[in-house]
Amino acid sequence: MAAASTPSPLFVPTTPPAKFGPRTGTLTLARPEDGIFLSSDTPALLAATSRGIVPHLSRDHLHLAQAIQHVQLPFESFIDRNPPVPTLVDGSHPLHTFLGYSPDKHVITMTLRDPSDGRKMPPNGNDFVAAHCTRGVRKVTASTWSAYVQKCKPDIVVALSDTPFTPPPHSQKRLTKSIERTIAWLSSILKIPASSTMPDNSTSPRPRHVLLHLAGGTNLQARAEFADRLTDPVDYRDAAELEPLNTLDQGVAGYVFDLLPLRAALAAEAGNPLEEGDLAHGLLRASDRHRSSPESSSRLAELLQSSLEVLPEEKPRVLNSPVSPHEVLRLVRDVGVDIVDSFWAQRAADIGIALDFCFPVPEDDAHDSTTCAPPRKRKDGKSDLGHNLFDSAYVHDHSRLASAFLDGQSAASLGASAAHAVCECGACSPRTPASRILYSAVDTQAWRDRSCATTPSTLQPPSTRAYVHHLLHTHEMSAHALLAMHNISVFSAFLAGIRDAVARGTEHFAREVERFEKVYDEGMVLWSEAEVMWIEVERARGKGRLAREKEKQKESTVGTAVDL
Amino acid sequence: MQFEVVAKCHTTRARVSKMRLAHGTTMLPTFMPVATQAAIKGLTPQQVEALGINLILNNTYHLNLRPGIQVLKEAGGAHKFQGWSHNLLTDSGGFQLVSLSKFTKITEEGALFASPFDGKPTMLTPEESISIQHAIGADIIMQLDDVVSSLTVGPRVEEAMWRTIRWLDRCIEFHQKSGRDDVQNLFAIVQGGLNPDLRDKCLDEMIARRDRVAGYAIGGLSGGEEKDVFWRVIKQCADKLPEDRPRYSMGIGFAEDLLVCVALGVDMADCVFPTRTARFGVALTPTGPLNLRLSKHAIDFRPIEEGCPCPTCANGVSRAILHHNATLETATAHAITQHNLVFQARIMGGARDAIINGTFPDYLKSFFAKYFGDAGYPAWCVNALRSVGVDLLEDRPDVKVISGDGAKWEYSDTA
Repeated sequence: MAAASTPSPLFVPTTPPAKFGPRTGTLTLARPEDGIFLSSDTPALLAATSRGIVPHLSRDHLHLAQAIQHVQLPFESFIDRNPPVPTLVDGSHPLHTFLGYSPDKHVITMTLRDPSDGRKMPPNGNDFVAAHCTRGVRKVTASTWSAYVQKCKPDIVVALSDTPFTPPPHSQKRLTKSIERTIAWLSSILKIPASSTMPDNSTSPRPRHVLLHLAGGTNLQARAEFADRLTDPVDYRDAAELEPLNTLDQGVAGYVFDLLPLRAALAAEAGNPLEEGDLAHGLLRASDRHRSSPESSSRLAELLQSSLEVLPEEKPRVLNSPVSPHEVLRLVRDVGVDIVDSFWAQRAADIGIALDFCFPVPEDDAHDSTTCAPPRKRKDGKSDLGHNLFDSAYVHDHSRLASAFLDGQSAASLGASAAHAVCECGACSPRTPASRILYSAVDTQAWRDRSCATTPSTLQPPSTRAYVHHLLHTHEMSAHALLAMHNISVFSAFLAGIRDAVARGTEHFAREVERFEKVYDEGMVLWSEAEVMWIEVERARGKGRLAREKEKQKESTVGTAVDL
Repeated sequence: MQFEVVAKCHTTRARVSKMRLAHGTTMLPTFMPVATQAAIKGLTPQQVEALGINLILNNTYHLNLRPGIQVLKEAGGAHKFQGWSHNLLTDSGGFQLVSLSKFTKITEEGALFASPFDGKPTMLTPEESISIQHAIGADIIMQLDDVVSSLTVGPRVEEAMWRTIRWLDRCIEFHQKSGRDDVQNLFAIVQGGLNPDLRDKCLDEMIARRDRVAGYAIGGLSGGEEKDVFWRVIKQCADKLPEDRPRYSMGIGFAEDLLVCVALGVDMADCVFPTRTARFGVALTPTGPLNLRLSKHAIDFRPIEEGCPCPTCANGVSRAILHHNATLETATAHAITQHNLVFQARIMGGARDAIINGTFPDYLKSFFAKYFGDAGYPAWCVNALRSVGVDLLEDRPDVKVISGDGAKWEYSDTA
């Protein structure tokens, strides 16, 4: 089949893109063997997962979440068992099957490390990456990685890269090593061994879409050198196994930038290393303390540009671990990125924040503050990006989560006159279920009543701030399920706003970015406040919910004491 | 409330009935999941409805503390606050006063306790309890009762029983004057500890007030008493309670307890057990609970239960991925919670069908054979069901019968 030898490109820009600058396009994941072609407009959202699943979302919620199409799957949580359990799953989509993603909706990007995990790690070796699982640190070699990928058949795979997670700064020598190893490991995943026949006589093809972290750390020359190495003719000793690739870059479907280690290294160079010490109680993640600024964004843009200078512009660029919408906007504007990790928005749901912002900023402040209060303004006149629902200000606030978006029910009643976009998430636009399980022949009588609204898929009133505030303070997990659905939806609307604005021209987009910067607070004071309250509630309730309940379960009669 | 018995078991005291409340009709017997803080753990109201559940429980004590009555009133009641448009039941708050507060002192006026907010002495009177439950707005509300542990002996048990009756009168009085008694239905709670004489007196007094209460709960059990005593109290109460009122057994949730209670004539039960145990990675199945944290499940790609209609099993969620994430990811707790609630609902739904079809004794037999077959039947279940004409051991001479509580658990890797 032609498709097998020349796979259709993963990414097609709308117009031939400039080297750097905002761009839109279409990502198409083709699985011709199943007749499946999944398309999404770019910049597209890449949902973060933890231990294989989108945090807080049960499978029914996952499938209801329209914003989730691309998921990033760090594999390291599975390496505590050998062989890792997903490698034992049969079928043509083992990861989808095992983790509950739908092959005709979800595109899975498999990567070894969690791009949002900035913890210190032991050094990588010449032939392995140190990865993290519940049983500690495990070494994963390039050949092991290829074997896992072979078995798991992800839609997209990220090649191993040697990103140091030892404390920065990193020496010149270390960066050189990092480049050498990353090149070698890329070559390894692209090679088809001469004896390519597997025991069962099937061939082991090259993974269809390989993404690559662009190495070189915070050193511009090192980054440029790494890019040069990619475009060099392949080593003649490897040529046979890399056939028909003339350069390694030809085997690369797109480029990945992990901002987290770059930000940590930049901070260390500037003499303000990001301390891990105060994260010791284990509730916070290294990235929680990261903030962006115009300066940090321009420094990052410079680094990304130095990598991309010699590389083809029509390949997609993945942005992992941005820490603010401001940072995303600037990197879209100054570099051009096509896939954006939504970890930041999802993490906000963990600490009780309901996002409430949109891009472009609505003209003449279209917030209808009569029914739904917009986020609070800080002293400098800038608005928060959301609401810290732990705050007692929300005890009596019975409005929907975000002022910038209508809930489904209000939108339906306003009809065409609605000025706002609608948040389609399960918290703002819940619907009666499409069906209900019946348990006995007489159960239909239960749902026949006129006194309750039981028509399938009817819009219901949205979850309110007061309700989520209550759930947060009573430590109810439902709070995070509602917030996770909402925040992913708001982040997705943000990216849709970027697409629209970019389509209206580079200058228009740049003006909108400037307006956004003027209106919304980038210092994210709100995050710091929410974090404090979140930790207070966690601590007030003991050492985490499960540990506490475990104790309680031991000492009480099972199931008869009241659930706290 | 409209309450109608639609079918009766020809052998046992089990019955199927239809209970129509302000927020819809619930078919009985049923199990009521507990949403202590106005949420079924981790789920949204729409997810609960999708499970085919339309009657859940909120705890008055907790909702009174948070979010507080003021917030509930602003929202238009607990239904609206939590986005639940179906039936709701609240307890009186009395049980939590005793179980959660060390300083509660019961007086004739009410329960005196230290406020969890500021430590100040606070009084919960029967009138106050009903007033709070009015603000919450549940379809079924419970009288404030004087709760003593089921292990208590001596004069305190009798004192509590008589006080519960006096408090019932005050609750009825207050409820009827409020004008809420056409939309909210007050249940009495039968007390009297494990003493048959006291239970009998309490039943007489409460049945005498039948025209002023919508239903009856059997209280003061599930506190660690012997199961062989437990079922006898349930039977005594269920036998005597009026036919035309629903009977609610409080704090019952193990599958075998549910089925025995149904056979004895109970219509409703509630318990935190299925949702709590889910958070520790235990899934309920017709062959017994499955502790998904055990390493034997690590590479088991079967669903919890083949053919189960719950979203978890129907979606093909494997034991292996549940094992991978049990107690580590909230979404795994959600998945097992959904399954466990469906398991409870299937037990009760199956009972409804069997009662209607005249096959309830067989239903009981096949449940016990599957659930306890290899481990042995709890003697108390055998005794209880014999009392209503079902002999579980009939045709099964080889089955083991074990004394004690007979709950079936696999708690650790070493077990």
